[in-house]
Amino acid sequence: MRDRLIQSAGVAWTLLYALFVVWLYAAAPQSVGEVATQASVAAGTYEVDRARFDAGRGLFLREQYAAARDEWARADPARRDALTQFYVAYSFYRQGWGRVYNDDALFRQGLEAAERAAALTAGAPFTVEDPELKIRTPSELKAELQSGLERTAEDFNPLKVLRERK
Amino acid sequence: MGERRVTNRALVRHLLLPTVFLTVALLGGVRVAAETGALLFVAPPLVSLVMAMMLVSLFVRGGSVRVGSWLTAERGALENVSHALTLGALFFASAQAFNSVLPDAGLLRWMLSFFLLWTLWQNQFSYFDPRRLLRSLAALFGTAFFLKHVLLASVYAPGGGWLKRLAGAALEGVTLGTLEGRSYAPATGYISFFTLALYVGGLLLLPPAPEDDDPPRAATRTRTPVELEGEAEGERLLSD
Repeated sequence: MRDRLIQSAGVAWTLLYALFVVWLYAAAPQSVGEVATQASVAAGTYEVDRARFDAGRGLFLREQYAAARDEWARADPARRDALTQFYVAYSFYRQGWGRVYNDDALFRQGLEAAERAAALTAGAPFTVEDPELKIRTPSELKAELQSGLERTAEDFNPLKVLRERK
Repeated sequence: MGERRVTNRALVRHLLLPTVFLTVALLGGVRVAAETGALLFVAPPLVSLVMAMMLVSLFVRGGSVRVGSWLTAERGALENVSHALTLGALFFASAQAFNSVLPDAGLLRWMLSFFLLWTLWQNQFSYFDPRRLLRSLAALFGTAFFLKHVLLASVYAPGGGWLKRLAGAALEGVTLGTLEGRSYAPATGYISFFTLALYVGGLLLLPPAPEDDDPPRAATRTRTPVELEGEAEGERLLSD
């Protein structure tokens, strides 16, 4: 009886440990802290740090976009929260937007974040209810960033300087 | 006393050995980047899987592992599954032990791979008992460890280590481009040392067959007449 118990425990433990090793090589975390984050994502217990998210939103509204993104990176280290990634994308949009021309590098980073947000909300409709924002969904934001990156004849229209940032 | 001994042996076979070998499999591919300190997980390359296969074959030929005794129809299914997992863990630990001592890129990686493969191939035709095999393996891994983590680490060190400066002085005007490789933090060498020590420790604990549980130094399998003749011939040559 004891032998069977040891054998069962051995098989279960070996399989679990082997799965952990395979997962570690697949996830490739870069630090011990990241191991814990990725493990909580895999276990479904991952949560965004709300206080840091709100602090980031405060900075965003004061137009301190780089500082806001820094807070959001700490709030959502695994980049698994659609709302945080939406705000990250929005911060790149607002920082990169220009009356005469847009900053393409920032718009590209914004597009990446918007795509992450869109991918995370692929299963259900997602709208951000924030009165400070004029764009409410990741798809709209993606479209706005993409149109900002395109070169068209409209770019040479002098009336373009009258448009408004969203 | 006898029952406790049986229980302890079962614990070693079913729990401790898989844990040791899987830990080797985990740590064998871990590197620490020199610039950022980030962990890097290097999966075993194909060449180290081939080496592991040859090494396991050497274990079987040398009598360190009697597969027929580990996996047999006389045992229950659960015990056979547990033994198969232990042997599987031994294979992956061997692959990762090689991964740990092989340079990750460059000409030296291929040179060292070639020498290791050649040594393993030569050993396939030698007569080993478990004790001699273990000594030979400790020497093989020790040499490879020294080459990678002492000599090559000095060549790849940011800013150039003592060996690079020495080689630069000796070979002034000759390029060392083929020696270029990624530099790792010193912690990588410590991890590799611990991994190899754990691997050799695991091999020491591994009984040739589950029922006798004799440590490798005492265990010998029954030699075939051809092997006995070969050993006698070898001893005659040595005495001459």
